[in-house]
Amino acid sequence: MTNKFEIGSRGGVTRRTFLRTSTGVVLTSILRPQALAAEGVSAQAENSLSQVPGVATQRIDGYAKVTGQKVYARDFNARDMGPDWPEHQCHAMFLRALTTKQKFLGIDTDALPAAAKRARLVLGNELSEAQRSPRLSASRDPSVDQKILARYAIKPDQEGFDRPSAVLFDLIVQPGNRPDFLGQAVALLIFDDSAGLRDAQNAMQFQDRLFQVYDEAVDPAPSEDRIFYPETTYVKYAVDNEVFDYATANPKAYSGQVDAYRSKIKERLSAIDGLVRHDFKSDMCAMDPMFMEPEAGLAWHDADRKTLHLVLGTQSPDGDVSEVLSMYREDDAPFQIDRVELTSCFPGGGFGGRDKSPFSLMLGLAAAFTKGRPVKLAYDRFEQFRVGLKRHAATLEGQIAVAPDMRLQNIEMQLQFDGGGRKNLSPYVASLAALCAGGAYATPMANIYANAFHSENVSGGSQRGFGGPQAFFAIETALDDVAHEKGWDPVELRRANLIAKGDTTVVGGPVKQSLRLDEVLDAAEAHPLWSERTTLQAEYAERGLHYGTGFALSLQAYGTSGDGMVAAVLLNDDGSFTVQSDAVDMGNGSATTLGVVIGDILGANATRVDMGCYTLFGQTGLTTRDDTGHRWANPNWTAKSVGSSSACLTALHQVHVVQQAAQGLFLATILPAARAFWTMPDLTRDDIEWIAGALHMKLGDAPPLPLGRIASLARELNLPRGTLGHAYFQDSWAEADFHIGGNLEHLILDGLALYHSDSETAQPVQRQNAFGPNAQTRRYSRYVWAPCANVVGLTVDRATGRVQIENIVSVLNAGRVHVPELVSGQSQGGVAMAISYTLHEDMPPGMSGPANGTWNLNRYHVARAKDVPLNPRYSVGKRAQELIILPESQSDQRQGRGIAEAVMCSIPPAISNALKDAVGVRYTSLPITQDKVLEGLQK
Amino acid sequence: MTISFTVNGQPQEVEDSRGADRLIEYLHEDLGLTGSKFCCGIGVCRACTVSMTKGPNATAEPIISCSTALSSLHHTSITTIEGVSDGSALHPVQTAFLEGFAFQCGYCTPGFVMASVIFLDWLKDAQIPKDQLDEAIEDAIGAHICRCTGYVKYYEALKATALEVLE
Repeated sequence: MTNKFEIGSRGGVTRRTFLRTSTGVVLTSILRPQALAAEGVSAQAENSLSQVPGVATQRIDGYAKVTGQKVYARDFNARDMGPDWPEHQCHAMFLRALTTKQKFLGIDTDALPAAAKRARLVLGNELSEAQRSPRLSASRDPSVDQKILARYAIKPDQEGFDRPSAVLFDLIVQPGNRPDFLGQAVALLIFDDSAGLRDAQNAMQFQDRLFQVYDEAVDPAPSEDRIFYPETTYVKYAVDNEVFDYATANPKAYSGQVDAYRSKIKERLSAIDGLVRHDFKSDMCAMDPMFMEPEAGLAWHDADRKTLHLVLGTQSPDGDVSEVLSMYREDDAPFQIDRVELTSCFPGGGFGGRDKSPFSLMLGLAAAFTKGRPVKLAYDRFEQFRVGLKRHAATLEGQIAVAPDMRLQNIEMQLQFDGGGRKNLSPYVASLAALCAGGAYATPMANIYANAFHSENVSGGSQRGFGGPQAFFAIETALDDVAHEKGWDPVELRRANLIAKGDTTVVGGPVKQSLRLDEVLDAAEAHPLWSERTTLQAEYAERGLHYGTGFALSLQAYGTSGDGMVAAVLLNDDGSFTVQSDAVDMGNGSATTLGVVIGDILGANATRVDMGCYTLFGQTGLTTRDDTGHRWANPNWTAKSVGSSSACLTALHQVHVVQQAAQGLFLATILPAARAFWTMPDLTRDDIEWIAGALHMKLGDAPPLPLGRIASLARELNLPRGTLGHAYFQDSWAEADFHIGGNLEHLILDGLALYHSDSETAQPVQRQNAFGPNAQTRRYSRYVWAPCANVVGLTVDRATGRVQIENIVSVLNAGRVHVPELVSGQSQGGVAMAISYTLHEDMPPGMSGPANGTWNLNRYHVARAKDVPLNPRYSVGKRAQELIILPESQSDQRQGRGIAEAVMCSIPPAISNALKDAVGVRYTSLPITQDKVLEGLQK
Repeated sequence: MTISFTVNGQPQEVEDSRGADRLIEYLHEDLGLTGSKFCCGIGVCRACTVSMTKGPNATAEPIISCSTALSSLHHTSITTIEGVSDGSALHPVQTAFLEGFAFQCGYCTPGFVMASVIFLDWLKDAQIPKDQLDEAIEDAIGAHICRCTGYVKYYEALKATALEVLE
């Protein structure tokens, strides 16, 4: 459901209001739950998460979804949005550029069908400068981010992949200009009703050339593809007590030093006797996230209230709203607004494709041309393929160098990502890929360069894996080839080079987590799918089938180079709990997880979880401005407010801030209430325990204190009814002391605020003795890791080239598992997506691909059930995918790991390695389609 | 001339001039029933699956509402996801999906539910041998696309429900 998840209820909608300040910053915060879709519907109490604290028996949003309630942005029309909204809505449609080599001249209105002639036609030259390209007008200028950094005085150490999210190029091409990329809008049509839109769509679909007019002159020299800022260079040299790397070098000197160290690497390698040098090259086409709900939403300019309303399903509500707001903050805007009110809906899938998607801007733009009426923009699947963010096409090549004793000496790799038209997050995806180029291995030397470049293709974005799938494919197939060439066992080669706690990555950042990669290898190696592979191959051969086994390992990082997160935990009048989080649940189950992880601390699971509460940060009293440079000593400073949501940020990051907020509530409210109830002012946490939703004294026969009574005591004693915590993680957590419950308490938070009974908003508590990560660690790139190995068994039909995945065994270090069903679900989804990406999903660039507007699921094959082994336990004769999760260890420190991408990352190379085992051919171009298999066999 | 049919038991009368309109548009725009999901719009993914019966004793069959014209629905009965539950009680397969964590984003779920409900109704009469169940389930929901789950838990939940029907 949209944002509000209440146990078993049919959901509801939570509106957030973003106010415009004088600086244009989105601030805050009216939490005004609306029961738009749920009026008169009560929660289904019998469908609770569980009466057992810490345990979920179903998804908290499950009832609404399984009964088909209105929970997605596409489900809503203006008439569903309550009495404040006009009932009648317009409908928007964009026309899309067909070439980047000719000037767009305009629309031949005579050629339009009757329904379109009745629509309002908007061309690019009718837009204000702010609307054409919010924040900064630029024409074909990939370095625009540097200009934005200067304009907004953003310091280099504040750069991150989610700031600033520059919007390049006009949203609608101005007549007379050459489109900057295929699929860029060339016109907007506004229809009075859905019938008009439908008639026009039926008449105009696939007929763009009939009414789009281009100059006949073809640009003789199209601009070269240019590189988006920043590029990534990781040169590492850690030999004979000499250490040079990106993480620890002087940032100002680093770039000037890398060439010298590249020379040193060459010299060093040439001095190693018997060095094995293996050149490799791989490539992959773009991939559509193919989330099931094509993007859709509503926008309405409420002139009376100077408010722009948005109804969206997005992974980045705060960023999207900021950018829409930026359209209407300049003097030349068609109207001025004071605020944006967002109804943040449940995304019908995401996988990164809804993270800073241009869709939100296109919707916000349409609202300016409807004369105060709401407007609905709803892509169909053709349009979603045509313009939706993609996983990048990429080419990767390089060389790995291994000593005769199997020890990796150097990884050299160049990675190039086709960013398509808009910059989006492309260079940051390339940057993480550069880190992943090091695989799960320790190497003394590395020479890695990655970039993302502008092209005419559909824009790339932050797809699941964020560069990892491309990089792990390259390194893991290359390692297998080395093992094959040298006659080494592929697992032993990996085992000889495993990175471990205390080592450094190719970036130079230290690994501080226990990875347990050796245990991952042990479990995979011992599994009969691997240990009996020779026997299995022989058995399949007896049946005339070509069978092969492949192994691959990945070490996917989760989180970003600095993550801020915020959450509130509220004690309701009836003694139940509500959790509020800034995160969005894209289906990964974060709402469910956050609802149960307070159980051990507060004696009960939450009965309600509000997601997408991006307005909470405004109540923390924190700021990211640090004019004095005092950083953590500045009691109001934090390094980052909140970021976009990804599935991988739940298990560690979001859980942490919810649990710390729960700890704060225990100390600020529950413990003081208990002291009052039992008249024991010195009562400590160690004296009491939760049993069946009530506090009990561990010793003696004092009466229990149920949660309902605690809630009433809290009201009587004027204790806080809730806490709001902000946490920041960057190699380590920020920590501070807070005066709550009569004591100075230490929490692993950098901000805490309390909800008092007489206030809707939280009041910040001044932090003391704060400390946190230093700025230098930001150069480590990433800090936490989710190791996974995959063993794949497959068969190949040599006649047709068809590959069938027979079995997969995944061995995963997930740390603490909060909700086992959600972890296995993420793994299973990752397996299917990886098989699909590796074998089926084929998408050519340019106008041969989805940019031509004719692509849909009839030609873009995503995995069906028959493509996937469905049995969850391995047994001979059945197709199965078995997930082995390492038992939690002390080294996990009770923390979960973000695993939503982990299982997926090593499956593509494991498939390629299995193909090599089955038919002796190395396939390094994804997808490995039947045609490519046949082509390889013919060679 | 009008096209007459029912949706979740409610009679519908549509002018013949709207015969080319797709059922999903009618459900979403005229009736506000948005539980049947629009995904591909060309009848491939089956997220928009609804149940149709024609005649008093006819067997229900799945139809793809994004590719079904209203003109083809004369004298039929349509059941959508909104019509599956009996009051507050869920259909057994809905319960199985819910308790089995079968879905994630949930956008494909109504299609899976509808196909499964039709399949289970058929199974009551068909009473196939258990060793043919996997194949029958594949026939029932194998064409449905889900991008989140990898299908495993959908199949597990439906199989468990189907086994109860067979026992």
